Amino acid sequence: MTALTATRPAPSGVQQWWVLTTRLIAPTLRNGEVAVGVAVSVAATASLYIPLNRLMDGPDLKMSSYAQYLVPLIVLQAIAFASISTAFRAATDSVQGINRRFQSLPIAPLTPLVARITASVYRCVIGLVVALVCGYVIGFRFHRGPVYVAAFCLLVLLTGLALAFLADTVGTNSRNPAATAQWLLLPQLIFGFLSVGIQPLQRFPGWIQPIVHNQPISRLVYAMQALAGDTADGVAPVTWSVIGPALAWVVGVIALTLPWAIAVYRRRT
Amino acid sequence: MAVLVGAAVDAEAHSEKLLPHLLSQTVVLTRRLLIRSARNPMTLVHALLLPVAFLLTLKVVFGDSITSITGQNALYRSVPLVALVATMSGATTGVVGINAERLDGFLARLWALPIHRAAGLLSRLAAETIRLLGTTLVILGAGIILGFRFHRGVAGALLWVAVPVIFGVAFAALATTAALYWPKAVLVEAMQPVIILGATFCTGFVPLERYPDWVQPLVRYQPMSPAVDAMRGLSVGGPVLWPMISALVWCAGIFAACLWPIMVGYRRASTSR
Repeated sequence: MTALTATRPAPSGVQQWWVLTTRLIAPTLRNGEVAVGVAVSVAATASLYIPLNRLMDGPDLKMSSYAQYLVPLIVLQAIAFASISTAFRAATDSVQGINRRFQSLPIAPLTPLVARITASVYRCVIGLVVALVCGYVIGFRFHRGPVYVAAFCLLVLLTGLALAFLADTVGTNSRNPAATAQWLLLPQLIFGFLSVGIQPLQRFPGWIQPIVHNQPISRLVYAMQALAGDTADGVAPVTWSVIGPALAWVVGVIALTLPWAIAVYRRRT
Repeated sequence: MAVLVGAAVDAEAHSEKLLPHLLSQTVVLTRRLLIRSARNPMTLVHALLLPVAFLLTLKVVFGDSITSITGQNALYRSVPLVALVATMSGATTGVVGINAERLDGFLARLWALPIHRAAGLLSRLAAETIRLLGTTLVILGAGIILGFRFHRGVAGALLWVAVPVIFGVAFAALATTAALYWPKAVLVEAMQPVIILGATFCTGFVPLERYPDWVQPLVRYQPMSPAVDAMRGLSVGGPVLWPMISALVWCAGIFAACLWPIMVGYRRASTSR
């Protein structure tokens, strides 16, 4: 009896988290996930900027160029693609039964969830970097200095974190990884296109303007455009009335989905 | 011995090489594929939700600007575009199916049965065609609710419906070739940039002269633009002949180029794991 208690392992939670995180990150270089992610970001930039540049440019844009206007949306699209991958991975883990296996092992219950969220943040970082490089190529610049660049990136990564919780929970709940990934294209399409990231508010039909103005992606775009700044003075100054709503949306989504994520993940399957 | 000879004669009469058998076997396998896709929730997403949402989004976001630039309702561009995109995204799902059936051994099982060798592929072609027709009609219905109308008569309307089906078959051939030679789950994600770029560098998205000059030749001659132009001509009026010919040449070329690799790849997928 004493032997049994003596050999019970006392694993380090941090080490387990790291092992489970590398389980998700290491294959991404080999199986083409990173390459596809980069390709998607580049394709998204090209497919929004090149066709729309001449169509959208005009005095009512109130910014120095359409590139400066569009890049926040491109960055958010990259983050959205990253979270779709997260949902796909979560659904795969759930369907293949590895979550059940983890529950039977001496691992703290939430470690696998935290590991998947970490991997998601890693994907967001890649998406952010690629999107900013693409943005730089088409002419996007930061105009306000390093602190605001950091704030811009932080806001993007916080958004990525919120979407990661949401996507992970939706994925863990689902029965079909491929179907989930396709379903999630729908909100991405609708929230992305019906936002002020693509054209100024007054160019939308009047009846939809209140929705466009107040939906979370628009609020994030306003905040990101303010943080990036511009040479023309059409962009809003960095004030709490611009940044606040965006932060409130992000924190609100995290506050609502975090308990849900924990509940879903701890449920015995 | 007599029994054995009888069995041999019987087997001869049921030879899988006869044409009527090919037809009946193809019908059975086609029904199998159609029932499977009808019961798959993904089908609903691909055939109905995503395309209709895409069409509505295009109308709300770009409809007014494009209508005012061209003087023509933007729907005559966006409905064809969405029909083409829906055929493409549907084909990528079908591709997942063929790889799943290769992995769980179903293709190998079919190969071991007395079925005409062509029935497997022909049934996929037939099921894909029917599915494409259904998707196109759904999108057309949504377009008509929004205000899309045919001004060139019944013949124009029938040809209009045929274009996405032909285009979809060619794209499905391309996607199937890719799946047979690169059987990875990431393939579906890898197809997405292709579809996104195809859709946005197309005269159905933005009028040709609004693209930067250097990219205009690419936009004008890629396979989707002539298809959209032909469909626009067939509905609201305008040039049909040349866009139609170039679209058909593209589709026939893609289909012909993929045909042999598909047959070889399908045999390989059926005979090895």
